[in-house]
Amino acid sequence: MRPCRLLAGFLAYFIGHVSAATFHVVIVTASGEESSTRGQTFAGIQTRVERPVERAVKLALFESTASFEAYGISPDLIALDLSDKQPIEAQLKQIPKDALVILDLPKPQFIQVATALNSADRITINVRHPDTDLRDRLCLPSLYHTIPSDRMYFDALGQFLIYRGWRKVLIVHGPTTQDKERTTILEKSLKKFGAEISGTREFTLSHHPDDRDKNKPEFLTGGASYDVVAVIDSARDFGRYIPFSTRRARPVVGDVGLSPVGWHRTLERYGAPQLNERYQQFDQANPLPSSEAMSDAEFAAWSAIKLITNSLSVANINSRALSPRQILKHPNTQVDLYKGTRGSIRQWNHQLRQPMLLATGEAVIAVAPMPKFLHPKHYVDTLGLDKPESPCQLD
Amino acid sequence: MIQTHFNDDRRRRTFVFIAATVAVLLHASTVSAFEAVITNERSGDVIHIDNEGSTAHVTAVCNRPRGITTGLNDSHVIIACSDDHKVVSYNWKTRTIDSEIVNVPGAMSISLHRPSKRLLVTNEGASQASVYDLSSSRLIAELPTGLEPDGIVITDDGKLIFVASENAGLVHVFDGETYQALDVIRTNLRPRRIALLKEELWVSSEMGSRVEIFNTKTRMKIDEVIFAPKGFRPEQMTPVDILFNPNENEAYVALGGANHVAIVDTTKREITKYILVGKRAWGLGLSPDSQTLIVLNGLSDDFTMIDLTSRRPMLTKRAGLIPHAIEVFK
Repeated sequence: MRPCRLLAGFLAYFIGHVSAATFHVVIVTASGEESSTRGQTFAGIQTRVERPVERAVKLALFESTASFEAYGISPDLIALDLSDKQPIEAQLKQIPKDALVILDLPKPQFIQVATALNSADRITINVRHPDTDLRDRLCLPSLYHTIPSDRMYFDALGQFLIYRGWRKVLIVHGPTTQDKERTTILEKSLKKFGAEISGTREFTLSHHPDDRDKNKPEFLTGGASYDVVAVIDSARDFGRYIPFSTRRARPVVGDVGLSPVGWHRTLERYGAPQLNERYQQFDQANPLPSSEAMSDAEFAAWSAIKLITNSLSVANINSRALSPRQILKHPNTQVDLYKGTRGSIRQWNHQLRQPMLLATGEAVIAVAPMPKFLHPKHYVDTLGLDKPESPCQLD
Repeated sequence: MIQTHFNDDRRRRTFVFIAATVAVLLHASTVSAFEAVITNERSGDVIHIDNEGSTAHVTAVCNRPRGITTGLNDSHVIIACSDDHKVVSYNWKTRTIDSEIVNVPGAMSISLHRPSKRLLVTNEGASQASVYDLSSSRLIAELPTGLEPDGIVITDDGKLIFVASENAGLVHVFDGETYQALDVIRTNLRPRRIALLKEELWVSSEMGSRVEIFNTKTRMKIDEVIFAPKGFRPEQMTPVDILFNPNENEAYVALGGANHVAIVDTTKREITKYILVGKRAWGLGLSPDSQTLIVLNGLSDDFTMIDLTSRRPMLTKRAGLIPHAIEVFK
């Protein structure tokens, strides 16, 4: 375990506060288990930035300085990089009792650690995996998800297509199990909002001569009538070649083209430019260029910390440590997400409810929920599984 | 659980249109003439409108003009130019910029204390507010705040300054003469604008969907007003501007994403009316005869004029891109 130094002067302030309650934050990683080609595709081409979430966590703690001061709280950030040389359970014993544990782990390790920490009564946060099985089936009482679920991403896309009047959708998906599972979720979202699926095509990376009609975008998108092509390619490899190569002149959405995202560097409303600028510049020793912004995983990690620090008014701060569990269970817990509508927790499956962005590489085209998609209780609950639909019922 | 309301909405729009036309005809005969200047954040200009909502002039002023207030004489407005890091004095009669104060980082909201000729500016990216002597353009003081300071006010006697920090969820209180930090008021999520009503400090909480009322002396919370127009969900209430009409004991609050403006009875602190306007209503202006409320709609790039006698919207007309703030003149 390596104690992590926060920004200079930031911790120093709190040394004088003997009576302060401590807010323990732990980031769990397993750098040895990460693929060396994360975010890359064929020939080492980088298709997305995969940065550790630590910078975003530090940003959120930095932003909370005045709140910590006002409520007499001192933050304590611990980075725990799991080693494969020792049993995981033994390494997790170092996590303080009232910690907020942010899991930045590949999925198999994520499930193992989240399950172990659930038994150990520690609050864990999923900031990385949109996978619906983690919400619907794993469904742990101590696990919260601040990264949107795949269902939230695709519901946002489905609403956008209906709003635009692009009702006939041709789906082109990849060959992996993940691609197929996500295609099923996309189909559910499209049906939910009344889109018509005019065909489902699977592409292959095989160059066998017999597979030619499955690896040429022109052939894959021929012989059908559609308003829009939705691409599911979790690896963002082949799918990148579909826009501008479709048989018909139609827009492309999904994992390429116009994509649903949790955060984006070009959002220009709701204070977002200030947040992006702060992310780039708050760590003066390591500034980032203005082309860089938080990934969805980083934004989810930032959201998790801010969910606690924006809700300190509901906390019982009478002990030596702040209890994230008590705050996360409180009905008034809320977070300013810089997306125009505040975020809060869906108590049935512990998912952070939030607006979603529909963006190209250069611009945010829309913020979902789209107009006229109304929910009886919560404005953003048309995105993702509602309480009656959720197999996970934790409340 | 999804409902779509295409037909209802169209019917309502037709009704609103007819009602508005009738209201315009009734209103036009009684209202006294005025002119207003609106800053347009995205298009970098101001528009001059008259009491019928017609745009007479468009003047390019600077990059990202936001806060606006009447200057030391009535022919001038002072405009905060956020992306140019300066404050300009715009003569709205000649439509020229007569002077400017430079090196004002991220100038956002502004407030003028006329008796002492002091200009107060919030510096959004710099987590501070700054105080200038307007006659000499000299920087008098810098006041450290939380992240993203927005609303700023000074009491009439010049003794207390209040600054809201959006990110921090705090209102910082400063001595208006020594500039010492006196106190910090904890607010709900994303405090935006502050308005003073005698010893009451009204603070809009954009992400907390309410206006909180504090005592300026004790800094204790007195009350809060929570908004809930029909057909909207609590989290869609994102109030920004607050404007008082002391003659009527009324406050007007622009409700942002709820696309409504609320009329609040300031003695009972009760909401008496919700009026449908454009998208993301935030900036507010009142005509000199207090008969007309002008609401700037930041997401639909237009403004709505409301007749306060009938409490109905009269017209909505196009503004520049992202209209932000308005100042009204006789």
